[in-house]
Amino acid sequence: MGKLKQNPIIKQLGFNRIILFLVMLFIYLIFCVLIPNFLGLSHVMSMLNYVCFLGFLALGVTFVIATGGIDFSIGPVMFCCALISGYTLNQHGVPMAAALVICILVGTLFGGFNGYMVAYWDVPPFIISMASMNIAKGLASVYTKTTTVSWPQSADPGGWFRNFLKVGNVPVGLIIFLIAAVVCSVILNNTKPGRYILGLGSNREAVRLSGVNTKKWEMIAYIICGTLAGIAAIFFAAAYSTVQPGYGDQYNNEAIAACVMGGTSMIGGLASIGGTVIGTLIIALIQEGILAMKLTKDVQLIITAIIVIAAVYIDVSARRRKN
Amino acid sequence: MNKKSKFRNLLSSQEFIVFIILILLYVGFSVLNPQFARYKTLVTMFDYACFYMLMAFGVGLTLITGGVDLSIGTGLVAYAAIGGTVIRSFEMPVIVGMLVTLLVAVIFGFINGVLVGAMNLPPFLATLCTSMIARGVGSLATNNYATPWPMASQPGGWFHNIFKIQTEAGTLIPIGFIWVIVLMIVMRYVLNSTRFGRYVISIGSNKEATMLSGVNVKYYHVMVYVVCGLFVGAAALAYAAATPTIQPGQGAGMEMDAIGGAIVGGGISFRRIRNNSWDFYWNLCHPGAESWFAVYWSECELATDYYRPCTAGRCID
Amino acid sequence: MGEVILEMKQIDKSFPGVHALDHVDFNVRRGEVHALMGENGAGKSTLMKVLTGIYKKDSGSIIYEGKETEFHNAKEAQDAGVIIVHQELNMVGDLTVAQNIFLGREPRKGLGIDDKKMIKDSRELFDHLKIEIDPMEKMSDLTVGKQQMCEIAKAISHDAKVIIFDEPSAALTEKEIEDLFIIIRDLKKRQLGIVYISHRMDEIKQITDRVTVMRDGTYIGTLMTKESTKDEIINMMVGRIIYEDPKQQSACPPDAPIVLKVENLNAGKMVKNVSFELRKGEILGFSGLMGAGRTETARALFGADPKQSGTIYINGEKVDIKSPQDAVKYGIGYLSEDRKRYGVVVGRSVAENTTMACLDNYLKGFLINKRAEKNVSDEYIKRLATKTPNSEELVMNLSGGNQQKVVIAKWLARDCDILIFDEPTRGIDVGAKNEIYKLMNQLVSEGKSIIMISSEMTEILRMSDRIVVMCEGEIKGEIDISEATSENIMDKATRNIS
Repeated sequence: MGKLKQNPIIKQLGFNRIILFLVMLFIYLIFCVLIPNFLGLSHVMSMLNYVCFLGFLALGVTFVIATGGIDFSIGPVMFCCALISGYTLNQHGVPMAAALVICILVGTLFGGFNGYMVAYWDVPPFIISMASMNIAKGLASVYTKTTTVSWPQSADPGGWFRNFLKVGNVPVGLIIFLIAAVVCSVILNNTKPGRYILGLGSNREAVRLSGVNTKKWEMIAYIICGTLAGIAAIFFAAAYSTVQPGYGDQYNNEAIAACVMGGTSMIGGLASIGGTVIGTLIIALIQEGILAMKLTKDVQLIITAIIVIAAVYIDVSARRRKN
Repeated sequence: MNKKSKFRNLLSSQEFIVFIILILLYVGFSVLNPQFARYKTLVTMFDYACFYMLMAFGVGLTLITGGVDLSIGTGLVAYAAIGGTVIRSFEMPVIVGMLVTLLVAVIFGFINGVLVGAMNLPPFLATLCTSMIARGVGSLATNNYATPWPMASQPGGWFHNIFKIQTEAGTLIPIGFIWVIVLMIVMRYVLNSTRFGRYVISIGSNKEATMLSGVNVKYYHVMVYVVCGLFVGAAALAYAAATPTIQPGQGAGMEMDAIGGAIVGGGISFRRIRNNSWDFYWNLCHPGAESWFAVYWSECELATDYYRPCTAGRCID
Repeated sequence: MGEVILEMKQIDKSFPGVHALDHVDFNVRRGEVHALMGENGAGKSTLMKVLTGIYKKDSGSIIYEGKETEFHNAKEAQDAGVIIVHQELNMVGDLTVAQNIFLGREPRKGLGIDDKKMIKDSRELFDHLKIEIDPMEKMSDLTVGKQQMCEIAKAISHDAKVIIFDEPSAALTEKEIEDLFIIIRDLKKRQLGIVYISHRMDEIKQITDRVTVMRDGTYIGTLMTKESTKDEIINMMVGRIIYEDPKQQSACPPDAPIVLKVENLNAGKMVKNVSFELRKGEILGFSGLMGAGRTETARALFGADPKQSGTIYINGEKVDIKSPQDAVKYGIGYLSEDRKRYGVVVGRSVAENTTMACLDNYLKGFLINKRAEKNVSDEYIKRLATKTPNSEELVMNLSGGNQQKVVIAKWLARDCDILIFDEPTRGIDVGAKNEIYKLMNQLVSEGKSIIMISSEMTEILRMSDRIVVMCEGEIKGEIDISEATSENIMDKATRNIS
């Protein structure tokens, strides 16, 4: 085992990520055995719908968790983005491109708000993100007058935005998501913001005393997270068309689960984009499997919760063994 | 310490200030809406205050140990729903339903305690997960149907009398509130003068040192969450008595009100430990004030209910 | 010296990959102070942890009061009378002194706790030990020294027969150490067995009766303190002789240009009207007691904490330093006394730590030029002789001395001309200490200037060219190294303290 870990190829890919990937394949096989037709294209395509928006949420929250923070608002923020831009699109007749920009911008603003409060006002991240979760829900409800918002269908004018998700049977969304993951990985590991985000997650004071403006970089992590939640909203709208105000909490937990499962440490300073991607795939797989088994959303809640507990426990105990 | 400085201390204490704010708010709302000042409104307010206060007592303990319990909101609703199902679907006597509610609450408290105290998971994440589980279990157990507990006039409705009785003359007496006052005195004693209370405080202040002093830290840490669960169970009963039906899957957000009450009233302040996530810091602990703040809080909630049209966003969840 | 109260024979303990204790012998007699010495990682703490049941021994036997015993946890050891006074203080800050002393064994009264009895008992205990502490005071309001006294009182109230002091003096002022020694001598008279773990040679000479030296997890030997010399002990510890002689004369020419001038610096309660100058190629020692405001001065100068007033000139130019960013921009580097918290980012690699302060130099567009980064960190690993497998190694896997070298590399990579060393050798063993000293001398000879804050008199006298003495936030005097003695420094450092 130890020797295997030292193998340069495995080291490059990350031993834990390979294990996680095998776990994913294993879950997939189990579902294939349990559920007839699970191998079919329709399940894979509907799973990819889930992967796209959840993946962007998970990528974003990876940056925040890397700073040692947390963001519980991304799910409702994603809904808020989709609702505000969708409502503006339907009611005020702005062009689709503008609606998409608004969508992303709303996410950026929420991220900026969270980041500003955390970095400059020293509000504990989980408090402020809980608060902005309620703000997001309230704002969306007030703005849409608590109506469900439907985004245009492919045939409608403006329906072209659905091509971001898929064209025919080509999963464009997945490709975009993977490209985004590569970009995120480069940002995290090979650029100044990533370096400082990981550094301040590991030891904030030491980085500050090295003459780095830690507040700025911490805020940027939240802004990246919010922006990606805005992008996630576009994929959500493209996949599910209707968005209802007052929901979205569940996706926070799923995104955090994907992220922590992938090896990003809750304590900060250690993050893996590759792990987040595989974690997202696992979560989407489970959700698809549970729906295919005709079980309710409640079972999915419980299973996700148990997965998060297990992932965090492994993270915590691995850290403790190291010390 | 002489008398004068004691008096001055009282005047500048957080409880006192919060209490004054509470009275000012009450007067303010009453002026804005004369209906608010009526005795009936006050009693309804106490109905709400009762379960918020019970939750605040429980979560206050977890805050003192440097943790938090985010599962209390959805948990409360789920426990009440499960208890209600036992009464409705299995046609059990109300007392069994009440015991089941308390039992489920204690079990969830115990799970939280093990996750946080024994497995060392970050409290907010662990309890968030149990809140998801509680929500799921509650919905599954009730099959997602709204579950009513027996009405006051129905057989088994006697449990309403635990929290509120109506005299023959028709006057409502909020007994639940009296329970809370009694519990407040008890909890104050527990925190300040018993081993359990002392260890709760010292775990929150320095867990390592407490352990090295030979205290069974794990046991007490788990117990804190169990006691919190018990309080939430009691709150669930009060909730069942105060609301006509229980809708499974609800309750998210209530924990924030209770935590807010505990923090503002109890003077439990936040201290963020940079680099190590964060934790809560025990500063002053007087559960008395928690309850007062919880009253104030629910009062605000009630007040906003009166002005519902302008707060559309809040009620949808 | 009485009979042997505690004997550890052939104690063996391995952790995965490390043979931490290799058949170690150790004993303590009643009424003696027995020093346990060795470099960091020699196994002193491990041995004591095995004794008190925190670690389980692999083999060997512990004979306590004539009987073979094994404690399974700290509580059992405590109940039997074997107590550690830890290096890091283990007190609950939010409880009162009395509550702390009786934590875990509060006297009961009905369902609750008998607080009155607790306070009365603690008062008696303090009277008995001649310590002046109010049992009603909150622990976090006491000074570090007083907290340590409380910890000792707590140990004694457990009816201790053996007390282990694990580097008790690391956080104490000289005056507090003297108070501590009075108590230790008193305990000796009461026929307690005392184990004293320390790095400081002068303390060992002062207080102990016997010295046992450990190296790399093995027992080296036991000497009578009176009959042994300092060099002998050090030689046993490191296997070579190291001299720690004071510097005779300043190595810095008196007409060297002034690189840093601080005028009337005020910050918080601990920095009052501090003014001083630093010359090129000089080591300026900051001496004083713990809590004299030296670290606070350095942090305010560096912009880490806000300052109320004061002007700073660098190379004769007035500069405005509001944050560490500004300080770094003007070429000041700060090496904190608490490396793990303020110095290194332990969870990241040596290379990342090296370029932390100068990342802009290693950017290629948006991307970090990892090859250049690796080159520069390899260069500093070689130059500073940092012991690390490679530049990719996480800093948390390095020893204290090597972590300090990583911090130095960080500031050298940034090309800082003024370096503030705050307790540069705290918690670093003797061998690595000398390497750090050599490095500091090398740096000043290259034209860098150093401010060195140190609580160790030998360090101050050995390294400084000029010494500034602080007390209660004020500068009490400046002494040239040629005139400095530990007496005249201490005199200035304690002048206002009764």
